[in-house]
This record gives sequence, structure tokens and C-alpha cells, in this order.
Amino acid sequence: MHAEVLDHIKFGILSPEQIKQLSVAKLTVPDTYNEDGYPIDGGLLDQRLGVIDPGLICKTCGGRAQTCPGHFGHIELTRPVVHSEFSKIIYMLLQTTCQQCHRTLLNDDQILTFQDKFKKVVNIEGEDITNAIEKLEERDVMVKKIRNIKKCPHCGSVQQKIKFSSPTYFYIGEKKPKPDELRDMLSKISDHDLELLGIDPRTSRPEWLIISQLLVALVNVRPSITLESGERSEDDLTHKLVDIMRINQRLEQNINAGAPQIIIDDLWELLQYHVTTYFNNETSGIPPARHRSGRALKTLAQRLKGKEGRFRYNLSGKRVNYSARTVISADPYIHIGDVGVPRDIASKLTVPFYVTEWNIETAKKLLEKTTYPMVLNIISRDGKRKRILDTNREEILKIVQVGDILERQLIDGDIALFNRQPSLHRVSIMAHKVKVVPGKTFRLNYCATAPYNADFDGDEMNLHIPQTLEAQAEAKYLMEVKDQVFSPRDGGAIISNSEDGVTGMYLLTKEENRLTKDEATFILGLAGVFELPKVDKDGTYKGRDIFSMLLPKGLDFETKTKSGMTFRIKDGKLVEGNVISATFGRGAKLYVKIGKDYGSQELIDFIFRTSKVSEAYATIKGVTVGVKDYMVNQKIADERIALLENTFKKVDDLIVQYKTRKLQPLIGYTLRQSLEKMIIAELDVARRTAESVLSKYEGEENHALLMSKAGRGSMLNLEQMSMFLGQQATLSSGRIKRGYYSGRVLPHIAPRDIRPQARGFVVSNYTLGLDPIGLFMHAVGSRGAEVFKALLTARSGYLYRRLSNALQDYYVQGDGSVRDASNNMVETIYGGDLIDPIKTQYRLVE
Amino acid sequence: MFMAKEDKKQDQATQVAIGEAVGTVAAQSIGEPGTQMILRTFHYAGIESTIATSGLPRIVELVDAKKKPTTPLTYTYLNDNIKNNFEKATDMTKRINEVYLADVAKRVVESFSKGTITIVLNRQEVEANDLTAKQIASKIEKAFNLDTTVEDRRITVNVHTKDLRKIRSTTTKLYESVVSGVEGAGKAVIRQDKKTQEFYVVSAGSALEPIMELEGVDKSRIYSNDIFAMYRVFGVEAARNSLIKELKQTLQEEQGISISDRHLMLLADAMTMSGMIKSVGRHGLSGEKNSVFARAAYEETVKHLINAAAFGETDPMKGVTENILVGKQIPLGTGAVRLTVKKEDLAKLKPKKSKD
Repeated sequence: MHAEVLDHIKFGILSPEQIKQLSVAKLTVPDTYNEDGYPIDGGLLDQRLGVIDPGLICKTCGGRAQTCPGHFGHIELTRPVVHSEFSKIIYMLLQTTCQQCHRTLLNDDQILTFQDKFKKVVNIEGEDITNAIEKLEERDVMVKKIRNIKKCPHCGSVQQKIKFSSPTYFYIGEKKPKPDELRDMLSKISDHDLELLGIDPRTSRPEWLIISQLLVALVNVRPSITLESGERSEDDLTHKLVDIMRINQRLEQNINAGAPQIIIDDLWELLQYHVTTYFNNETSGIPPARHRSGRALKTLAQRLKGKEGRFRYNLSGKRVNYSARTVISADPYIHIGDVGVPRDIASKLTVPFYVTEWNIETAKKLLEKTTYPMVLNIISRDGKRKRILDTNREEILKIVQVGDILERQLIDGDIALFNRQPSLHRVSIMAHKVKVVPGKTFRLNYCATAPYNADFDGDEMNLHIPQTLEAQAEAKYLMEVKDQVFSPRDGGAIISNSEDGVTGMYLLTKEENRLTKDEATFILGLAGVFELPKVDKDGTYKGRDIFSMLLPKGLDFETKTKSGMTFRIKDGKLVEGNVISATFGRGAKLYVKIGKDYGSQELIDFIFRTSKVSEAYATIKGVTVGVKDYMVNQKIADERIALLENTFKKVDDLIVQYKTRKLQPLIGYTLRQSLEKMIIAELDVARRTAESVLSKYEGEENHALLMSKAGRGSMLNLEQMSMFLGQQATLSSGRIKRGYYSGRVLPHIAPRDIRPQARGFVVSNYTLGLDPIGLFMHAVGSRGAEVFKALLTARSGYLYRRLSNALQDYYVQGDGSVRDASNNMVETIYGGDLIDPIKTQYRLVE
Repeated sequence: MFMAKEDKKQDQATQVAIGEAVGTVAAQSIGEPGTQMILRTFHYAGIESTIATSGLPRIVELVDAKKKPTTPLTYTYLNDNIKNNFEKATDMTKRINEVYLADVAKRVVESFSKGTITIVLNRQEVEANDLTAKQIASKIEKAFNLDTTVEDRRITVNVHTKDLRKIRSTTTKLYESVVSGVEGAGKAVIRQDKKTQEFYVVSAGSALEPIMELEGVDKSRIYSNDIFAMYRVFGVEAARNSLIKELKQTLQEEQGISISDRHLMLLADAMTMSGMIKSVGRHGLSGEKNSVFARAAYEETVKHLINAAAFGETDPMKGVTENILVGKQIPLGTGAVRLTVKKEDLAKLKPKKSKD
């Protein structure tokens, strides 16, 4: 278990004394290496600050490059400078305190009220639960109130106007105080007054904001790189520190030589500039310091900031070991809860084997092995990891003892986490059982692709092997695929049969369908069912009976589809209705029922066995799509022409009615708007009619149509290929109308023509091919969709980041309430009824 | 309205686990389908569509708690006795519909020598809005305190000055002046509910208060998609409910993305828990976290670190982000609970000898 060492973190400012204490070396030489290539004593890479070159020894701790953590140094600045990042705070302090007596400009009454406001709000355990931000807001209000006070309420002295000029200059009246004068003023503010302003004086005295001792970062933070040519290249921070030290030295020399004040002031300002850019090279109001090549230097603030900064790149997300990544490929014969791991990967990744007094014999047997699966490393009780080689195996066998940890290769049945980016929801990472397979790709059952949003066109996925027993247990009991069948978004099934998994089953369960004994035994055998249903007189088997064999024993289920079909299973037998996308595909209630009554293992097994059967039966039947499916017969072709003519006539009629003002406007719309709406509605009717024409004349021998019913695809696909493309839209979601001044889209169209074809209605289809105007309109629509998609992904990514950041701390407490990290109550009872959204559909099936 | 039916057995089977990270799940449930959102096409637009913002932009707007939505709409329902009367409803629409002088004026002529402004009205528009030249003139008189003379469809306004600048500025103001309807209500249209057949008025503004004062308006049912308007008039609870309603409408009804109410409720509760409406993001919920690290890791890294140092803030390390940063176990889910064993019980435990 973890020992909890870290309870809270306190922020503060280092005082000059603390800096000197922390520092192991005062740096005086503004240079790095001498001619021999050794670090100069008192230089910026002084060996007391730690070592990064292999072979050298740290002069402070005696450690080498791997063991020495590095040590701080410091530079004594000849003249103090302002810490530019804090100048807003300094400005606030100058505004709120008297220029004579240095007390806050609050009068005695105000002091009392503010003291009350900042009185600590504590919870039962006595912890301070006042929100820091609330304190800041409170303070801002106060600052606004008192910053324009002309006369000090305590000593009565007149306050002069204070001006702040970014980034580090202040004006009090006409005077421009130097940093050391500022320091004097700040140091006179009493601790009591600072507390009033929300400042903790123990850790953050404001005079420490004026820098006289500059802390120098350890060398490990700014390592120099040796280029191939043998040339050394220094880190940006080192460059900046060299600049600071050079100016600091020049300033000192000039002061000692008694140079005129103006020169000293110039150098002082230059020192201020260098220190400012050392902290933040993007400070507004000053030009960024540049490298010799003209590139702006990356200094402290730049290291922390943004997506590639320390926080988001290295701290919020970390690189890990025990992981693998490769291309995924489909495998309908691998269990949904398994993942096929290539042998190459399985023999690299390891799982810890804890040697105890009960398994030491097994451990020894494992150690003896020289072929896969064998032990790769041994971690002895003192934490030292040793590679096991043929040369030292015998020796290790002798010394292996209780408490050692062996790292053995991955084998079947090990638990692994499988993930595909972008990880948009929790089922983007699930636990699978390892199944070692030949080849070089991860294998995944296609039923498990939906939660990952994966396909097999070259997608890559990541595999992680949990190492501790706790992690393995959590993965197994909380993250396994079988427990992730239902979406926490709405409780519907995300892991389910789809595509061929539905098509084959539909064919199998068609009323008239019969199977020979050979076929029946073959597909039932695939599903692991070794008995046959009741045989018919002619020696054949009903497809529906075979489907019933796959259902869990005693299942009772009934549902109605939108089209009005009843799908009923009674006592484990399909008695009414068909297996189609709505009853068997994604989100079907059947899965909820099985999951609820039979448990998640039975559910996932059910999906697996039906998917295998379905796929096999589709193969027997031969389901495929060809050009022939999209070539329509004469009847449909005639109906298509008639439909288009009829639609255009209706639209023409509408336009005539509009022009003669006989059109009855829709409630709430102008005549022109009504016309547009009516035309669009008319075109939509045409689209729907086309659908019914197709399904009237085409039967299920047309596999494109079959798939729209059960499996992938919709009628729209078929329609666009065999009938017409229909109306193309633009981003503004109206009919296409942009282009020329007169409102036409192309010069081939008459001005002010609002008939369907002039506004992006494409009459042709993919089989017939498009005419130039149709192609243009189609391209307009496609481009719009493409632009929209690009825009949407960026925007929705940011929305997601914001949402997850705002809500991530909320969780359900023991009392059923939802609270955030500061224990503020968000909801008194989660969702009003404490029901898990993942299980909401349980209530809908019965 | 979201409570499920009482059923003890089912309650237990469907109860949420203690420690469950419901916040993250809610965020994922709303955020994940973001990429699936589609442009509204004709298939479901039909005749009922409006000009309202939809899809992802609308979700972003709601979550941002924008003070002024891009397309504010107010739904005014009528009292029972008139709600099925088309004439009365049309009349109500005209009372609400905001009409500017610019809408009814054909042209406006300034006479700098006489110091007058002559407005020539567009007869059609005036009649369409049930107005007369006299009514318009009296409105102007009241609003500007100026003399007017009406002559057929001409209104002459006497400005009492010959200063060019003043005349021109009065003209501009005249153009923008409201001659009929409720100020701030926007253009109003009448709609009919498909189910109940009742008529209601939709107006493109969020001036709820003046509309509620009109006679015949059902005050208990008036609704606006402007969350802040609902907050202003009906309080924070109403704002929460309309926030849920709007989110649900956009996600579920319009985009066809099914999502459990609980996720939307949690988001709405989080946004309104302080008694005000707070946005999701750096100026709202995320920017007010107690943890310095959590704020720094989100946005404006340097600012938060600097302020924390200057004021001597303490990071209590209770949230998710800050614990990930330092490599500690996060205090959620299985990390939210601890196992305690009595020392004497521990001594009693003896390891069992395994079979192999």
C-alpha cells in the first residue's frame, strides 16, 4: 500500500536568506567550460551544482550523473531588481497602503468588516474550507474600494497618484522609485496589514518580491548537449544566466570605478531586462530575448505553459513501461473479451510473479525454462533487477527466495488494458484477456470495435499490462469488456451484433428458411451447441429453431419496433418477428434483458456465439454486393422519371401560386419563406417516395436492400446510387444559393430561378453518373460537410476538455450526495434517485 | 420530473456505486458525442424548423453561460380561455411584436431650413401591424416630447431647432424608436402546437417581464431559451431546469443523441450550485477550484502559480488533477475508500497452505 506522505502543498516566496541557505555555491564567473572542456569553478556549470557528464563526481554530494539530484546555486545581484511576474501584486500593495505610514488605507471600521470576512470558515474537522479564489475576489473588491483614497485614514497624509508601467516600472506622483526604494516601502507593511489583504506573511513577505539574491537552477534542469561534432550546446536557461551574470559584473565594475549615475542606471535597467526575460520571455511590453540564430529563448514560464509545457505534457500525462502498440486486425473467432497479442510482443512484455513460500517450487520450475514462456528478470528483495541469461540461470536458481519477484513473459489469460485514442469515454480503455497469436498485429473481435470507435483500415492500438495485484484486480473486476457492454451515457448496449452479425441472423430466422443437417450441425458446432433442434418431416431444420438454440434457456422477451413489428421470445424460443437491426443491432433491448437476467458473462458469450453463427451463415448464403444490385430495372427507371417530373411540376405549381399571390402562407412565416419551406418539404417527400419505390420493386435478393434492413447501411445509400442524389445543402442549412449577385449559383442558371435543379437538387445518381451542374452542386455539399467536420472536431475537443476539467472531481459519497474536492455539495442525492445511468434501461425491459 | 418509480428490488440492483466518478462520466457522456453532431439537414427540419442556434454551437453557448444567447427566443402561452382562439392569439402576437419606425416608414425626409422631419409611412406595413398614422405620431410625441402633425400617411415632426447635428441625431433615434409592441421582445410570430392545437407566440428576444404584464398571458407557462432571463425572472431553480431542458433538446431531440438525464442534471447542478449561473471553463467552475495545481494544469498556468506564491496559498491535494501531478492515488472510485483491519484480527489470520 501507499504510505501517504503528501498531505498538502504550501506555496510561498523564497526570502534572500532562504536562497542563500538553499544554495551550495555563489556563482561569480559568467562562463561555462574552460578550454580543457571542464566546468569552471564558480561558473554556471560548477560541479557543486551537480553533474551531468558521465564520469564526473558531484562536489556537493559525491554522487555521479545517475545518483546526484543536483543542487541550487545563487547569484548575488549588485543592485536589486523587481520580479516582473509579481509586479501586479506590488502595484496592488502600493495602491492599498499609505505612502507615509505604510498601513492599509482601510479605516478602522473597514478593517473590522474585512477581518470578519477573512475569518476562517472551518468544517467539523477544523479544516479551513474557505475557497482561495473567493478570498481573492473579496480582496479585489476591497482594492477597488480603497485604491483611489486621497488621504490616509491613519496618519492623514496625502496620497499621490500611483502609476504602473508594464512590466516593472512604477511612478509615485512624479517620482520613479528604484527597486531598492520599493523594497523599503514594501518591507514597512506590517504582517497584520498583509493578512488583511489575504497575504500569508510567514511565507510571502512582499519585500522578497524584489530580488537581490537570484536562485540558480540546478544543472540537471538545464543540461548542455554535446553535438556530434563535439561542440557543446548550452540550454536556453544557461544562456540567459550568462547574460545576467555578465551585466551584473559590468554593473559592479562600473559602480566600483565611480561611473556616472546615468551609466549605472542604464546597466541596472539592462540587468532588470535580463532577469525579467529569465522568468518569462513573453512578458508584454518588452522584446523577447533571442538566441544567436534569432529564435526566441524558452525560459522558465515557457517551460511550464501550454499543451507542450511541463504541466500538461509531463505531469498530467506520463510515459509508461509495460506497454505495446501495433496495428489491429479483425478476428471473428477470438472472444469479444480477449485480445490477440502477437508472440513477439508477448515475449517482451512481462508480468510479475511474486515468490512466496507456497509457490516457490512453481517459481523454480518457471525459472528453469529457456523457451517461451520463461522468466526474463528477477527483482530481488532489495529491489535490484537482474536480467536472467543462460549464463547466470543456474546461479539464480540457487539463490531465489521468498520475497523475490520474477518477471515472466505474457501468457494466455493474463489481464491487459487495451486502448485506442482519442480516449473520449471510459470504454475507450477496457481490460481484455490475453490470447497469444502468431503474426504481428493485435487481434480484436469486431463486436468490440464500437466502444473504441475502431476499424481495421490501419488503426493502431495500445496495450498495457497492469503490474501490481491491486491493478490487476481492478482491471479484472471493473474494466473487463463483459462489464462494459452497456454505455454509461444512456444504458444502451454498445457492444452488440452489427453488420454481418445481423445480416446472417436475419437470413437464418426468415420464416421460410430451412437448413440441411450438415449446415445445422456446422453452424451450431461453431456456437458450441452440440444438440439439434426438432427435425422437420423432410429432414431439414427450421432456421428459427436454430436461432432459438442459441438463446439463453428460458428467456422471455418482447419488444415492438418503430415499424410496428413485434419481436417475441418465449421460454427461450423465437416465436414472433424477425431479427433485424432494430431488434438485434446496436442498442437493442434484447441485450439489456439478457444482461439483467443472466449476467454479463452470459451476455457477452451470447453476443459472441450469435456473431459467429451469423457470420458463418452469411458466408453459406453468400451475401455480397455488386454493381448489379444498383442497376435498376425498367419499371423503377420509369417510376423515377415520373416521380421527378411529378415533383418538379408540383414545385412549379407552388411557384406559380406564389407569383400570383394565391399561395396560403404558413402561420408565422412570410410568403417567401413559406414558399421555400414548402419546396423543401416537397423535395423531402420525393426522397421518401423514392425509398418506397425501391422497396416496392426490389426484393431481398438485392443485397444492398437487405443490408439496409439488417446490417450496415441505410436506404439512403441505395437511393443515392440507384435513384437520385437529391437536395444538397450548405453550412447555413438552406438550399444552395450563393454565387452571383442575382442569386444564381452558376452562369448556366437563369437569374432568380428557384426551381429545384437551380438550387442544388441533383436528379442523377451514382450509377447513371452526374452531369456537370449536378457534380458541381454535389461538390458544394461535400465541401461544406468537410469544412464543417474539421471545425467541429476542434471545437468539440475543447468543449470536452472544459467539461471534464470542471466536473472531474465530483463523485458519489457514502451518503449518496455528490460533492467536489472542497466538499461543496453539488447534488444532495445523485440524480435525485441514486440510480446509475448505466442501469437505467433495466427498468425498461420486463 | 426525473424520478423513477419506486421499486425497492430494482432500486438496489440499479444503484450507483459509492465513489463512482459521476462527474467524469457526465463530462464524457456530453463530450464524446460532440464529434458525432451533425449539421441539420432537410430530413428532419421539415416545416417546424426555426432560426435558433443548434448543434454544437448551442451546447457551447449553454455551457459557457453566455449572458446573451445568439438567438434568444421567448415562448408565450396564453390563458385557457383564449389559447384556442386564432384571432385572439393573432392579436396577442401583434401586441408583443416589436415594430420600429424603420419597419413602417417608406422614407424620412429632413428639412434643415424648416427644422422638421417628415416621415412617409408605408401603407401596407402600417396596416399589416394594425397601426394608424395617428397612433405612431402620438408614440413619437410621447417618447421624444416633440410636436407632430399628421396628414394622411405623412407625419411631420417639428424639432424646434435648425442645428444640423441635432436634426440628424433625432432622425437616427426616430428610426430606432419602437412604435408598437413590447420593447425588447423582438419580432413575434404565432405558432400552433401540433398536439394540443393551441396557439402560442414565439418572439425573438428575451424580455420576459414586460410580456408577462400583458393581459391574457399565462405567466406560469412562459418560457425562454435564454437561461439568464429565466434566472432573472424565476430564480436559480428555474434556470437549472431550463438549462437541462435546452441541453436535452439540443442533444436528444435535435441531434438524436440519447443521453441519460442524470448527466445533464449533474452539469446543470454544478453550474448553478452557488446560486448563480457559473460557466464551465476558466472564468467559472474550473477557475474557482481550490487547488492551485488543478488551476495551473488547466489554463493560465503561470498566473495561478504566481498568485499562489504571492498570497501563500495552500493546495489541499484533494482533487484529481493535483494527485495525478504528484503521482498519488486519486481520491475517487476505488481510491476513495480505505481498508481498515484491527491489529488483533490481523494476527489471527494464518496463511493457508495451497494444494500444489
